[in-house]
Amino acid sequence: MTATTLKETITTESVRTGLRLNTTYYRLELRRIMRDKVTLFFTVGLPAVMYVIFGASPDYGDEPIRDGNVAMWIMIAMAAYGAVSATTGIGGSAAIERMQGWTRQLGLTPMRPAEFVAVKAATAMTVAAAPILIVFAIGALTGASAPLHVWVLSALVLVVGAMTFALYGLGFGLAFRSEAAVSAAGGALVVMAFFGNIFIPLNGWQLLVAKFTPLYGYVSLARRPLTGGNTIDPETGDLIPEPLWQVLANVSFWTIAFAMLTMVLVQKGRGRQ
Amino acid sequence: MTTTHTPTIHLRGVQRTFASPDPEVGEVRAVDGIDLDIRPGEIVALLGPNGAGKTTTLDMVLGFTEPTAGAITVFGLAPQEAVLSGRVAAVLQTGGLLRDLTVRETVELVASTHPNPDSVDGVIDRAGLGAIQQQRVQSCSGGEQQRLRFALALLGDPDLLVLDEPTTGMDVAARHEFWASMRAEAEKGRTIVFATHYLQEAEDFAQRTVLMANGRIVADGPTDEVRRHAAGRRLSARVADGRIDEVLAEIADLPIVRSAVIERDRLVVETNDSDEIARLLLGTLGGSDLEIEAASLETAFIQLTRTGGAS
Repeated sequence: MTATTLKETITTESVRTGLRLNTTYYRLELRRIMRDKVTLFFTVGLPAVMYVIFGASPDYGDEPIRDGNVAMWIMIAMAAYGAVSATTGIGGSAAIERMQGWTRQLGLTPMRPAEFVAVKAATAMTVAAAPILIVFAIGALTGASAPLHVWVLSALVLVVGAMTFALYGLGFGLAFRSEAAVSAAGGALVVMAFFGNIFIPLNGWQLLVAKFTPLYGYVSLARRPLTGGNTIDPETGDLIPEPLWQVLANVSFWTIAFAMLTMVLVQKGRGRQ
Repeated sequence: MTTTHTPTIHLRGVQRTFASPDPEVGEVRAVDGIDLDIRPGEIVALLGPNGAGKTTTLDMVLGFTEPTAGAITVFGLAPQEAVLSGRVAAVLQTGGLLRDLTVRETVELVASTHPNPDSVDGVIDRAGLGAIQQQRVQSCSGGEQQRLRFALALLGDPDLLVLDEPTTGMDVAARHEFWASMRAEAEKGRTIVFATHYLQEAEDFAQRTVLMANGRIVADGPTDEVRRHAAGRRLSARVADGRIDEVLAEIADLPIVRSAVIERDRLVVETNDSDEIARLLLGTLGGSDLEIEAASLETAFIQLTRTGGAS
């Protein structure tokens, strides 16, 4: 049978290469996400609606930013919010699964931890891509404009950068050990998004504070292909240069902080079992 | 292939202590020095009350917890390596399932982690899950979830099957059905180790019983021998006035008697040989109004730990 032969080939292949993506597990993870309609609405539907209200409809959307416009600037922010909501949810659900003993169950199989991480990372990438694609598609149809390379680069930064927030969701879930905590992590994203220059363009002292918050670096980096490395003064529309190192420092700091927090909590959890 | 010289499970001087959540208590010694060898093809019950150290012992065999002291090998390997090799499978006590998957999806998922899994349909059939395979895990009863865990354990065609109180939360019928499917698996020559606090389950299913209490092994041998230790009888009888002290002294000296006391003008005797004691009491000792009941397992555990164990 061809199916059997194919399966054997894949198995042999995996033994040789050491790591493969478990596509069955990946497919079932996506199916679980599709079943959770409420979360799906908040991660995909809500950012799309917010973009339409704040980006596509108002007149200021047509105001130019270099070769693009303000609608594009808002679109990237809303896609960013959707992407991090999605990955926070994946990270948080992994923490809940661990609490409910699923990690123990997998610990009884020949599956190695690296394969599990690969499945979760692929799932997080996919769910992060969904709101980005949908918000970008709506943006393209409703007046967001920029050169093609801006669309592509922004989308890439958004997908990859959202992974940091999978660690955030995982760390939050491991620290507080309840499903409510994972919902709270999602709620805290709203506050972070406000201070991350996502929902409202900030200036003055608010912008200064914002530069230290977790979502700021991520969304600024994603907007950089559009802004060419500037922030925008919401009063005057002037472009204010922002050094790249500031943005990168923010992203690196928070990624490392979330990763270390998660590692410490995983170690601690092991001692408790 | 395992040679007959390599025990399937080998424990030497194994200890495990935990930091107690109560700072005044300090450390809790869950497992307190265990030696145990389980040979290929054996069916062994780990019997003991809650807190005896059964789960901690099994957790160490499965590589979830490291012993504080002592050595453990499974198929001659470190426990975690043995699990990764796919030769060991376990049915966990609770949890360990994703509630939003269906029964069949769960089996498919775990099958995908094995290099050469048994057929999904075959395993579903053997675990008696055919009728509920499209049902979500969250709407399955405790017994159904336990059968699902059992199915997951079968997927890798393991040589060693470890079960931690597998029938918890099952009603009598479900329990019966579960052991029937277990028996079918045992006939395939698998080594089976299960923890239980039901003496009945050990008697029905295991050739060998390891009795644990307070982190130690207090008895280890063929199940009916251990049962004789564990499940004595309790007799009580009225004895003619004035003779009771004399009778008590006589009874208490017999080697088959574990304990003999006077409780509210009745003589109460715990023994392994109730027939003999009954004969004596009603015969030469002039007792009347005899009652015989099975001593509870808990009583037996206390007895065995107090006397330092037997085997």
